[in-house]
Amino acid sequence: MHVHDDPDVESAELAARLSGGDREALAEMYRRWSPLVHTIALRSLGTREDAEDVVQQVFVAAWRGRETLRPDRGSPAAWLVGIAKHRIADVRTQRYRTHRNLQALATEAVTEAPAPDDSDWAERLLLVHELERMGDPRATVLRMAFIEDRTQDEIARALDMPLGTVKSHVRRGLIELRDRLKEVERVSSE
Amino acid sequence: MSHPSDDELVDLAVGDADDPERAAHVAGCDTCSAAVEQLRRTAQLVSGTRTYAAWQAPADDVWARVTAELDAELDAETDAESDTRTDTRTDTRTDTRTDTRTEIGAAADAKTRADAEADADAGGGTDAHTPRVADAPSVVSPVTAPAPATVTRLDRRTRRRAAGWAAGLVAASLVVGLLVGRAIWSPDTDGQVAQVALSTLDTRQRGGEATLVRAADGLDLNVATARPLDAGDGYLEVWLINADGKRMVSIGVLQPGESGTFPVTQALIDQGYVIVDISKEQFDDKPAHSGDSLLRGRLPA
Repeated sequence: MHVHDDPDVESAELAARLSGGDREALAEMYRRWSPLVHTIALRSLGTREDAEDVVQQVFVAAWRGRETLRPDRGSPAAWLVGIAKHRIADVRTQRYRTHRNLQALATEAVTEAPAPDDSDWAERLLLVHELERMGDPRATVLRMAFIEDRTQDEIARALDMPLGTVKSHVRRGLIELRDRLKEVERVSSE
Repeated sequence: MSHPSDDELVDLAVGDADDPERAAHVAGCDTCSAAVEQLRRTAQLVSGTRTYAAWQAPADDVWARVTAELDAELDAETDAESDTRTDTRTDTRTDTRTDTRTEIGAAADAKTRADAEADADAGGGTDAHTPRVADAPSVVSPVTAPAPATVTRLDRRTRRRAAGWAAGLVAASLVVGLLVGRAIWSPDTDGQVAQVALSTLDTRQRGGEATLVRAADGLDLNVATARPLDAGDGYLEVWLINADGKRMVSIGVLQPGESGTFPVTQALIDQGYVIVDISKEQFDDKPAHSGDSLLRGRLPA
């Protein structure tokens, strides 16, 4: 875990450069976030072939839709993940159609609608990424609170930190992560 | 009572609130209870991140596919402009292409992947695919993700002006060719099918030339660079990338400082493999494109 100088400012600059039409900013985004997008697609779709197609589509779509990037909404990572969610849903629908067409040919039976993506890979992996970039001690406090399920008193004692500070990290941290998920929701439902 | 602050809503969501009046407000307020629900879901998703695998970077050639698709689009825009077609039409066409691609991708799942080169050479393949290392997922941390080649979009005026310089540059590179005792291309232009300048991706600086010529037994692609490209510890590989940005085939290895002639087929060109790309490759276990493109140019249709 390393702490960036100021990842938010850096990300906002990158977002502003992209929406201004700077292709180098797209390349920088690819360097930073293609592993995130690819891992989400791979977990959601299961094949490397489809996952890489999604990565390609996401970054092409990011360029074409660069005007929809809102630098004020924090990290462009959530924006990219929102686009990825959309693309992954398209692939699932396409697979379902192909499957249904084959089924229809074979039996004319009506098959079930595509299974909803209840695994939440996009959201979960984005949060893993956000916790990685958030830096300490906030990330540690959040992990202890929500992954290890420890009380704020326990965390304060374990980290030798005033209870009020723990509380404040939980509040700010959870709100920040909530905002990222909102951004994913906004973009993927467009 | 007014709505609780975000901080107070977090306290409620994580069960750390001790104000019954506030809890009562939230219970009766749709906005606040939705906000609390959203925060709870966030906390729940964080708790689900306990186990996850390491980040997996996409194959190195995916970035090359992205830039190829964007470049193809840029060329289409430029074409559309000179034909006084509207942007709307270009957009529509682009969208249709995306849809078709998705379908092809999904349908192809059921099939065994055919080798792209074999398919293309056979001339029948609508589903030739980018060669890739499907069975060896490379686990790479985000930090070591490949540094992709970058492209700067020049404004169209600059592009046009660049075209105007072409004649001068042709002469210049011919001089370079003669100086090194090697004709860059045959002065006999008979049988020449198409020609394109090869430029760097970042600054669009012209660095070579690719010419498609009719040969006795098919087509040859002649590739020449104005000055030797630096292959570092590796080697230079010549590719034809499909205009759809999704597929590519390797057509051979180029010796730094030399021109090369690579047999290609009409079927390959007809299938849309028209973007000539020279990449720097390492002597490694990855047969796919490294993503490190040195020069690139799109053959005119």
